[in-house]
Amino acid sequence: MSIPKLEFPPFHLPPEAEALRLDVRAFLKDIVPKIKTEDRFASWNTASPEFSRALGKKGWIGITWPKQYGGSEKSFLERYVVTEELLGNGAPAGAHWVADRQSGPLLLRFGSEEQRQAILPRITAGECFFSIGMSEPDSGSDLASVRTRAEPVPGGFRVNGTKVWTSGAHRNHYCITLVRTSGQHGDRHKGLSQLLVDLKTPGVTIRPIINLAGRHDWNEVTFNDAFIPESCLIGNEGDGWLQVTSELAFERSGPERFMQNFYVLRELVRVLGRNPSGRAASILGRLIARLWTLRQMSVAVAGMMQGGKSPAIEAALVKDLGTIYQQDLPEVARVIAESDATTDDDMADFLDIAQYATMMAPSYTIQGGTTQVLRGIVARGLGLR
Amino acid sequence: MDKETRDMLLETAGRFFTERCDRAVVNNVEKGVWPADLWKEIEEMGLPLIAVAEDKGGVGGTLADMLALLRLAGEHAVPVPLAETALSNLLIGAAGGTPKPGPATLALGDLKLSGNRLSGKVARVPFATVVQRFVVVVDRTLVVVPASGARVESTPSHAGEPYGQVSFDNATVEFSGASAVSAERAFELAALMRSMQMAGAGDRILATAAEYSKQRVQFGKPISTFQAIQHMLAELASCVAATIASAEAASRDADEGGLEAGGRFSIAAAKSQCSDFAHRIAAISHQSMGAMGFTHEHILHHYTRRLWVWRRDFGSESFWGEKIGAAYAKAGPDMLWEGLSASRYPT
Repeated sequence: MSIPKLEFPPFHLPPEAEALRLDVRAFLKDIVPKIKTEDRFASWNTASPEFSRALGKKGWIGITWPKQYGGSEKSFLERYVVTEELLGNGAPAGAHWVADRQSGPLLLRFGSEEQRQAILPRITAGECFFSIGMSEPDSGSDLASVRTRAEPVPGGFRVNGTKVWTSGAHRNHYCITLVRTSGQHGDRHKGLSQLLVDLKTPGVTIRPIINLAGRHDWNEVTFNDAFIPESCLIGNEGDGWLQVTSELAFERSGPERFMQNFYVLRELVRVLGRNPSGRAASILGRLIARLWTLRQMSVAVAGMMQGGKSPAIEAALVKDLGTIYQQDLPEVARVIAESDATTDDDMADFLDIAQYATMMAPSYTIQGGTTQVLRGIVARGLGLR
Repeated sequence: MDKETRDMLLETAGRFFTERCDRAVVNNVEKGVWPADLWKEIEEMGLPLIAVAEDKGGVGGTLADMLALLRLAGEHAVPVPLAETALSNLLIGAAGGTPKPGPATLALGDLKLSGNRLSGKVARVPFATVVQRFVVVVDRTLVVVPASGARVESTPSHAGEPYGQVSFDNATVEFSGASAVSAERAFELAALMRSMQMAGAGDRILATAAEYSKQRVQFGKPISTFQAIQHMLAELASCVAATIASAEAASRDADEGGLEAGGRFSIAAAKSQCSDFAHRIAAISHQSMGAMGFTHEHILHHYTRRLWVWRRDFGSESFWGEKIGAAYAKAGPDMLWEGLSASRYPT
């Protein structure tokens, strides 16, 4: 009986990815200040259709996809660099984020030719945005227990049920929705399918769910005898579970799991000034070292994926550590700023930022797989269950 | 050395450490017994000369080869100054010298060299009371002082290793050469060496705690089946993973960037990270093993106590954090991402 050794082989992003980084960075330095958003501290959950269209024009959405669908056939590592530059430069990249990260790749892998041709070029142009229709009022971490039912009827499905925490449904075009197409509630992984749902379909109602910070990101999406044509079934009927779990892998492994509130660190540097006390410098440096480590881990995971491996445990470790870092960051930053900010004006401004970041922090260890679900995956990897 | 040669060397060394660095040997060192046979065998295998050129009698490995070996040494709590001697010998070789046999250590601190005479005092020098020579870098000169030329006061580390305070009072040097690295760089390399040993200790602590949880039966079943334990060990794995990943990335950067200045930021970040997480690694592993892991009888403390000592050696998280924080603050917020994404101090 032996415990598998953890390895994160150091990995270099290739020269073409580093070259692309400079292009993306130059573009963002120019455009980000010109984009109006209501958020001062934009990230991957701040939507700006205007920004996404501009990024699409550069060819930086769906960058890995085949050219016939508007992609650039570049590597997963080049996508990685685009992603981290968006986060590092505070771009309001939320409108296209889910489509680029997981909905497009899902359609590419399992969708029909008709679906690909109809949707993918619009995603790469930055004109078509997606929501994720997984969670329900009674199904969160236990995703296989979904109750939304799609009953086969002539020409398609009649759908009834409710999805919740559906980010951006009020402004997005489609929602890839996990439904039960056969069998009974309790059949678990059997009988589930994914549907490509146009959010303007009659019988689909979208209501806001306001989060504790007063933001409207989430929605409740209700299906009331909504008719979804057969052509909108993704992949094979009954393969929904297999498809949805492959989608989750895309959802967990990216730099958005440790750079969502990068602005806090950047503003902390600003508020501490150019010549902080030794104590403040030390605390700042330790935060930077943690973030650097997370990036090394994440790049190592990207390297393993590029090499054809499936580092599910390593990806879970990155999300676990990364989201906890994101929760610690506003707290540690606030405490050191309280004692070490250089001017009162800076301080008032920074406290605002830190307070907002603190309010958003509980979501990090819940969305995309809770800490507890991730630790279950890691424990299985360690051979404990 | 090529990957195959390195893997072979590591496999041989791993088997050797497993056989020869058992609990009794480690405990005896703590009681003041120098394991002369163990050291002799380690020298016969050529390990302290791993990163010394072949024409100087060494193995001809790189800095990265040496660091990979030291991670393995950390995994076995090898209770002799293999790390310190290997790095000393590397630096002696790079300064044009030919390393002599026998254990050596680095005495890095505020020292003065006038002519061929060395003066000053360095605290917490690892293995100070058992080495045969001290290696010192002052400005850009590397000097070697025989143990007989120094006054050593024994101040054992809290891991029971023979650390000491070393004083040089116009000590005569037995070798002096133009150093390939600055004094500051020698300190960085020593911090990197400790980071890799900490990665190795982390490997062993995770394996020990996970194995124990499968063996230990309470309430009629192995405690590994309890979700509370599973989640603790998963968190432990995440802290160990960060330790390993940061140390390995810094090793790669130091090796590729060259002995003189490679991976300067990465080393600082790695030592800060490794030192930072030592606390959680020790805390979780001890909690998961209950009273058993708190006994002197069990080997867990060989590793957790070393982590507690090593996190302070050659710069703690406070020290390296301050270096990083001061540099990034000076450069200002607009340079933050540029520096981080290039693994560099911002300019």
